[in-house]
Amino acid sequence: MSTVANDKRLTAGNLGGYQILDLTGEPGFLAGKLLGDLGADVIKIEPLGGDAARRRGPFVAGTADPERSILWLALNTSKRGITLNVDTARGRAIFLKLCRQADAVIESAGPLEPHSLAARGLGYDALRKTNPKLVMCSISPFGQSGPYSTYRGSDITAVAMGGNMYPTGNPDRAPVRCSLPVAYYHAGIEAAVGVVFALWGRETQGEGQFVDVSLQETMLMPNMTGPAQFPLTGFKGGRAGGGFRGGRAFFHELWPAADGYVSFALRGGAARIPGIIALIEYMDECGMAPASLKARDWSQYNHNVITQAEVDEIESALGAFFRSKTMAELFAAACDRNLMLAPANTARQILASRQLAAREFFVQVDDPGRGITLTYPGAFAKTSLGAATIRCPAPRLGQHNGDVYGALGLDVTALAAEGII
Amino acid sequence: MHALFKGLKILEFGGGAAGPFGVRYFADHGATVVRVESRQRPDFIRLLRLTPDTPGAIDASHMFAMVNPNKYGIALNMSHPKGPEIARRLVQWADVVAENFAPKAMAKWGLDYDSLRALKADVIMISTCLNGQTGPDRNYPGFGGQGSAISGFNHLTGWPDREPLGPYGTITDSLSPRFVALLVGSALLHRQRTGQGQYIDLSQVEAGVTCLSENILTCAANDDALGRMGNRSRHAAPHGAFRCAPQDGDDDRWVAIAVHDDADWQRFRQSIGDPPWAADARYATTAGRLAQVDELEDHVAAWTRTRTAENVMHTLQAAGVDAGVVQNFEDLINDPQLAHRQHFRKVEHAAIGTHLCERGGTRFSATPEDIRMPAPCLGEHSEYVYRELLGMSAAEYSALQADGVFS
Repeated sequence: MSTVANDKRLTAGNLGGYQILDLTGEPGFLAGKLLGDLGADVIKIEPLGGDAARRRGPFVAGTADPERSILWLALNTSKRGITLNVDTARGRAIFLKLCRQADAVIESAGPLEPHSLAARGLGYDALRKTNPKLVMCSISPFGQSGPYSTYRGSDITAVAMGGNMYPTGNPDRAPVRCSLPVAYYHAGIEAAVGVVFALWGRETQGEGQFVDVSLQETMLMPNMTGPAQFPLTGFKGGRAGGGFRGGRAFFHELWPAADGYVSFALRGGAARIPGIIALIEYMDECGMAPASLKARDWSQYNHNVITQAEVDEIESALGAFFRSKTMAELFAAACDRNLMLAPANTARQILASRQLAAREFFVQVDDPGRGITLTYPGAFAKTSLGAATIRCPAPRLGQHNGDVYGALGLDVTALAAEGII
Repeated sequence: MHALFKGLKILEFGGGAAGPFGVRYFADHGATVVRVESRQRPDFIRLLRLTPDTPGAIDASHMFAMVNPNKYGIALNMSHPKGPEIARRLVQWADVVAENFAPKAMAKWGLDYDSLRALKADVIMISTCLNGQTGPDRNYPGFGGQGSAISGFNHLTGWPDREPLGPYGTITDSLSPRFVALLVGSALLHRQRTGQGQYIDLSQVEAGVTCLSENILTCAANDDALGRMGNRSRHAAPHGAFRCAPQDGDDDRWVAIAVHDDADWQRFRQSIGDPPWAADARYATTAGRLAQVDELEDHVAAWTRTRTAENVMHTLQAAGVDAGVVQNFEDLINDPQLAHRQHFRKVEHAAIGTHLCERGGTRFSATPEDIRMPAPCLGEHSEYVYRELLGMSAAEYSALQADGVFS
């Protein structure tokens, strides 16, 4: 594994030289992290008591400590951190001072929520007067205007209202969400895109702008155009468990293996049929391909015309075969033989991946300030100019107050005594 | 201000959603995008619902039309000896080349980054396949379904006593496009400042695992593998989807409710009329609610079952409680908030007729995106692109066409 140095200067990368003020809570953590990985100087601004995520378990080694929250540590890398009380007039004045030199501000709050910048008189109009070139991005549950703009929302309600929960789950049970917050991930990346696009607008046309990201609306794309197709198909998205519906039949997609589950779908088309044929050859080598499977003309296979009885016959043979093999055996065969089959990995299996090891994807991040070293997903992308990767560990509370406020010529000790930082 | 990417030229190879949805971000913001396909190997999403009787055949794919508006479509047979040479001329036209084939394809045609850079020094190229461009499993031929499985989303979605599920759709296909837009956008900023192009290798699995960093850290730091929790939260209760009253004969109506802290719980109690069961002192704290979550959520479900999902949402939200209808695809079409944001736009398509197209999750105050033209039928803009954009003579165009290069 490669090691990330603790105090690498935050200047290299595609976004080197840009400074971003990050006031987001959990829904926006990923946005600042990605911008920081791309080289921007991201300054996390927390209230004096720290972000709520710091108080959430699980904690590293089980020690309940705001500097050891795994959620905080996981998605706030590549950021510096300061505290600032923007509920005071002096705090707001200092925030505006920071905005004069910054390129972008990101927050995650609905327009009327008490922790939003707008509620403190620091909405986009106020910031634009201070710095017309500033980009401001707000991630909110439903967007900044409209009938639900004052409604509360979190991951589960955004996934529900965005239409990705109704089609997820078993037909005989409630619709279900992913156990980690995918709405926050989608919106976090979407916000990072919004900031970069608005910076491009500023570089080419001279002005900043406001970027309004809706958690609900970012969760429509995962439905892969199903909602827009409704008027043409009448399909509301009914749940199909770990499977899918073809033209005339239900198909399984997640199958029990000897030690877990694998994903394999009997979908057709030129890109997939060779994989089906290769799977049947593999089954045959193991003595588990019935004659009817071998005899079938797979070149004409179409999942939209095959009947349920045919699917059931094919799938009973596939099911028996998958149950006889481990996930690792099946995935090794998939890589060697171009089968479109994949393991439904746990974190432990992902950490053991030979492909990720070969790409040195996981990195050890030394965090001497906390006295810990943790294994992280490293570069989210590799480029010919360098990797978009972790530049420093997540900040400790107020870790960079001295650097940031000192650079503004402010007296850190006095500000702390006044309850501003 | 004018459209953000007016004047930017993007050449796109590949198919599916992961690449094309990403390039659409630029097309919607004014970039000129040329999408390369061929009759021999059309984008596979043109075939997803295809039967021998589909009117309009491969040009009538709903999904293709909804992923690819604002793009020009050309036919170019890369298996023809002259195909790669024409592709190289298109590279000289482009600022950005995007592709999401398996790694060997572009190199086979002499269109790897080093070849492209020799043609155009400051070109930006992005490749996004499932496993990345290096490593022993780089050529593994996966789609989004496998990406969801490998990066951990399937394992984390569903019920502890059942098989892993989705999430519905192929989640790396909705995460990767945003990574594509972020990386190409940041590369353009870098080029603007330095004059330098770059090559970007985005592994869809690595991007997915990065999102799930909490999953990795929990395992690596504490040797604890997260699993499927249904709709439960480790931090809040009640937290789930609850069945509501049937509407118009549809008994598959649900509402999501999340009570995040003790103040929320008091608001929730009041808004449901403070029934006797809710006065139970064990429910007053998050720890107590989590410890009794099964019986607590049974009470909540009994309350929602006699009310419509919309009624529950509006009642709870009026009291400041986090709640939302578990909307189906029809609900989304009628959602007043999405209507306010004009999420669905009407498009006229030659082979489909009128269809809806969705927008992304972002509104820009000064440079709104737009849908200017429908997605292309296969090869629809060949003549325009080759003649007008590449400046090919009529004679050369006709000769190449007769030779089968544009098929």
